[in-house]
Amino acid sequence: MNRNGIRITRYVPLIALALLLLSLGPVIGPWIHGAHAADAQATGETAAETKKLVMGTSPDYPPYESVDAKNNGEIVGMDIDIAKYVTSRLGYELEIASMDFSGLIAALQTGRVDFVMSGMSVTEERKMSVAFSDSYYTARNTIVSRKSDAYETVEQLSGKLVGSQLGSIQDQFAESIPGAKQKKLNKIADLIQELNSGRIDAAIVEDAVALEMVGANPGLVLNFLPVSEEDNGYAIAFPKQTQLVGDFNRMLAEMKENGELQNIIGQWFGEKEEASERETGFLNIDFRVLDGYVPYILKGVYVTLLFTLVSALFGLIWGTILSLFKISGIKLLVAFATAYTSVFRGTPLLVQLTLIYYATPQLFGFDIPALLAAGLAFGLNSAAYLSETIRGGIMAVDKGQREAAIALGVPYRKMMVRIIFPQALRHILPALVNEFVALLKESSLVSVIGVTELMRRADVVRASTFRSFEALLLVAAIYYVLVLVLTSLARMLERRLRRSD
Amino acid sequence: MINVTDLTKTFGKTQVLKSITTQVNKGEVVALIGPSGSGKSTFLRCLNLLETPTSGTISVNGVELTDPKTDIGRVRQGIGMVFQHFHLFPHMTVLDNITFAPVEVRGVSVKEARAKAHELLSRVGLADKADSYPSRLSGGQKQRVAIARSLAMEPDIMLFDEPTSALDPEMVKEVLNVIRGLAESGMTMLIVTHEMKFAREAADTIYFLDEGRLVERAAPEQFFSRPQSERAARFLEQVL
Repeated sequence: MNRNGIRITRYVPLIALALLLLSLGPVIGPWIHGAHAADAQATGETAAETKKLVMGTSPDYPPYESVDAKNNGEIVGMDIDIAKYVTSRLGYELEIASMDFSGLIAALQTGRVDFVMSGMSVTEERKMSVAFSDSYYTARNTIVSRKSDAYETVEQLSGKLVGSQLGSIQDQFAESIPGAKQKKLNKIADLIQELNSGRIDAAIVEDAVALEMVGANPGLVLNFLPVSEEDNGYAIAFPKQTQLVGDFNRMLAEMKENGELQNIIGQWFGEKEEASERETGFLNIDFRVLDGYVPYILKGVYVTLLFTLVSALFGLIWGTILSLFKISGIKLLVAFATAYTSVFRGTPLLVQLTLIYYATPQLFGFDIPALLAAGLAFGLNSAAYLSETIRGGIMAVDKGQREAAIALGVPYRKMMVRIIFPQALRHILPALVNEFVALLKESSLVSVIGVTELMRRADVVRASTFRSFEALLLVAAIYYVLVLVLTSLARMLERRLRRSD
Repeated sequence: MINVTDLTKTFGKTQVLKSITTQVNKGEVVALIGPSGSGKSTFLRCLNLLETPTSGTISVNGVELTDPKTDIGRVRQGIGMVFQHFHLFPHMTVLDNITFAPVEVRGVSVKEARAKAHELLSRVGLADKADSYPSRLSGGQKQRVAIARSLAMEPDIMLFDEPTSALDPEMVKEVLNVIRGLAESGMTMLIVTHEMKFAREAADTIYFLDEGRLVERAAPEQFFSRPQSERAARFLEQVL
């Protein structure tokens, strides 16, 4: 056989393995989706069944929609009740899909959901990409501030630092306050924290949310602002060109007429009890607010661990293949692996993650589940780092080991798998453990695309409790314990590998 | 059995082997000696293509090694090699070191390979070390295991690349005795060595290399008592 031929054909199985891994995505997709769907109340099988409508919502905005973390993590709220009423009257079955607010419009456009109800205001910008129903509720804006300030009018906010939730309708309102400086934050819980710590002077929040904020934080007060004329209220969003809009509008009109709408609103916006003056300790922390939420948060451990395992495994295999490319001496493979490492190390993981999750449906028409997108992004990224580590480990194995194996007639692949890798592994084990610990902690990043791992669950609880520290401290402790367990497992493995010394 | 014709090898600009032509017969024991840097090890390593010759031909049992059509892995299975630094696989026990290649490369059954390994270990005097890891062995023991590992593939030819140079003096003898035993059993062997006494006693032929040339090829008695070249005479003067 041609010796050069041998050299190239040696790599064919490796390349095949790489392709197999890439093509495996759709196969393991549904399995991973299973974990994701725990969050979406899947009541039936698939959308192929007749008369089923999928509603997209971002359940971090009580009382409109939130995760009832104390009871099986079901999604509840005013929007949900209205949607249930309308769809059942129209003869549809309702399925709810949970996702981040920023992904809702994209989900409509890619057909992942049939309509969106998520306390969404009608704006000219949104009208360009989606169709809206008539509005079903008009929220009033309020000023939330510390009791000592208790701002009542817009004029008082001149010269003050005013917070608002990024992308919300209040965000636009806050921009129009004369003389006020703005600070935009991602979450209501963040606004509360900034208020409590004095970093912002006031927050513009809509009435229902403000009521809950004040209810959970005794140091804050709210004051209503006059209803503005041009406020269009909240409406249901649909893809363009659907006759559902007409049907829904008819039902909304009926609900307004027969009092059902007011009935549902009344249920969710009932008078809040005045916050009892709780005895609060250091930093205003009171872990009693987590009562009932702990099991919900703990379930995130499973998702976090599953995610870390899948991405670590994928990163390890792909990183190994890349490292073999790098030492293959075949120009094309070396160039590919080097360029790959350069790009994936040279761009932020968060950017890669967001790109993969949002661009995949548009580029490939594949509705990639959040957990799979996250595993892919983390695996691809981790592989770039690991390929260098593994390459270093392989190079560190005594050259004589290779010669001894060659002299015995051991074929290349067997030599690498049985002789070189086990020794390289011993050299790089500490570096591998570092990488896995980093993966475990960085997995908190994937909460941004709505994977319900630990961090996401902490955010959900922060939104539900309108308190910012307690849930964060709890997940910090959980992460720390997980890392401790991981490192001690690694130490045991290392001891096992070193038994030959 | 081994035919080398016009073999040259260059590393970069340095010519390490200069047009070497020789042949080794079945059962012949050759000791390669010469000053360091003379090309002894490179010559040996060309014989199983650990180094690729720059030009020239090498044939083993009629198989041309540098022919692109040759299955070099197969040829290597028939040529055992023992290194100065042993190169045992540190993550495997002594027994696994010996059985790995027969089982994984030649497809011998595990049972058979183990039986053979135990037999070889008794032959090199290490029957009780089967389950030890290499790190627990002395240098001399490691080298004897390395020899057993090579022999487990049942080679026709054994190459020894300075097998005793890395050993403490008191361990040299135990290794040389094993090699001597092999020589007496009729194995074809090429040994790069600095042990002149051993070369004189055990070898059938001495190759003296200097600056990449095979300067002298002679029977030990003749070489050690009446070296033909002035260079060999000077070398012997220094080492004896």
